[in-house]
Amino acid sequence: MSKRPSLKSVRLWLLGVGTPLVLLAVWWFASADSTDTFFPPLAEILDRFRALWLFDHFTSDVLVSLRNLALGYAIAGVAAVAVGFVTALSAPIRWAVDPVIHFLRGIPPVALVPIFISLMGFGLEMRITSIALAAFFPTFIATVDGLRAVDRGLLDVASVYRLSRGERVVSVLLPAAGPQIFSGLQVSLQTAFVVMIASEMLGPSQGIGAMTLLAQQSFMISDMWSGILLLGVIGFAANFLFDLVRRKVLAWYIGSRRLARAS
Amino acid sequence: MALTVKPAVAGAAGIAVALAIWQAASSAHAAGGSLPAVATVATDLGGLLAEPDFWSAVGATVGIALLGLGASAAAGIVVGVLVGSFEPIRFATRAVLEFLKPIPPIVILPLVVLILGPTGQMSWFLVFLGCLLPIVMQTVDGVHSTDPVARDTARSYGMGSAEILARIVVPSSLPYIGTAMRVSAPAALIITVVAGLLGGGPGLGARLYLAQSGGDYPTLYALVIVLGVLGLMFQGATRFAERRLLHWHESYREVVHS
Repeated sequence: MSKRPSLKSVRLWLLGVGTPLVLLAVWWFASADSTDTFFPPLAEILDRFRALWLFDHFTSDVLVSLRNLALGYAIAGVAAVAVGFVTALSAPIRWAVDPVIHFLRGIPPVALVPIFISLMGFGLEMRITSIALAAFFPTFIATVDGLRAVDRGLLDVASVYRLSRGERVVSVLLPAAGPQIFSGLQVSLQTAFVVMIASEMLGPSQGIGAMTLLAQQSFMISDMWSGILLLGVIGFAANFLFDLVRRKVLAWYIGSRRLARAS
Repeated sequence: MALTVKPAVAGAAGIAVALAIWQAASSAHAAGGSLPAVATVATDLGGLLAEPDFWSAVGATVGIALLGLGASAAAGIVVGVLVGSFEPIRFATRAVLEFLKPIPPIVILPLVVLILGPTGQMSWFLVFLGCLLPIVMQTVDGVHSTDPVARDTARSYGMGSAEILARIVVPSSLPYIGTAMRVSAPAALIITVVAGLLGGGPGLGARLYLAQSGGDYPTLYALVIVLGVLGLMFQGATRFAERRLLHWHESYREVVHS
């Protein structure tokens, strides 16, 4: 790595950093004195962004949305991995739940929100339950698939070493299925985020999604744009944080893949 | 044969237990009696299936999802091949694409509804946008991972760059595109339903909204069951198409060897 970067790679790197900046600048200047109702100036959107999300509605809406997302996702993740283990390790249970689970997975996650509204009203419990249930399936299915694909040899070694059931789960099965579980968790995160927005947009309630839809319905276009911007940033940031954690936890796996590819 | 009978019996038992729990919860008036009985939902479902309006809603949902998916596949593959073939474009667009990818289409739903109104066009556009990025990014990856030896071999056979593109680059990126389509097809259905439920676009999503806001709970459950079946059909159909169309590729051939 002592090699000096070539001129070409510097230029490509500049392109990568520069293009987004140029696009933002184009948006800023092209919209600067826009009178189009649907596309207000970026400066105005950012102004509303600061006024709305950083001051007025930070605790009442932004924090509520983020807490629902975090809580629902955490419940889903823990439950899905735990139930996934029980299901994968016992064939009769797996056979029994397979058809039901596959049917439930076919349902678009957002379609579950009206059902939870009919059962629990528009409260916080409804939103957290919707998020948790919708985010449950991707991780659950990935966990079961990951555990079923664990190398037989690893299991044989585990029994030769007479590992107890707990040791086997923690130090053999969990790491072996880890990559699959994490890709399930990533899909779950996306699902949880979509259902968070949908659960706020249906019916009168608080939250970033509700505020954004309300702004659209009352023709406060800059407010709506600022909501879209905030949701976009949250979507990106959640995925980014997830990737950091994944890289940390699966460092051994990513490293071994890189070695395998290099050889 | 006993091996395949046992899972089937256990699966049927699982379904029976799930239905029994549902029935028990509804007889016990859980959640204030808003959970309808199994038989009520079944009759309602039967009524729906006999209704021509219902079938036109199914047709609208499936049609919008497929049209949006088809359009984003066509555009996504062309854009992906272009971006993947030119190193500077790939670098220039990477940060933008990486930023936009984790943002689901529901985020811009308010804007699209504002401009296009609660129409089929709005639903179609959301499906198009939602499926476009995954297909573009997978195609870029596929083009980028073309075997350089195959490419050089083609060049030494005297193929022009158009021929290399058509005979080497595109076929070798097809499995990547196949993966993108497998992920995007169920997503297209989901986005159509979301656009109907939250944006008022035509189809089953709008009917779901009507059933929920009108308190018509048996229909609500019947519609969700229909959506579950549709979702399974979308997943099954794409998996089948992928296997049929890509059976010649290495990554699909391997299964036969082992």
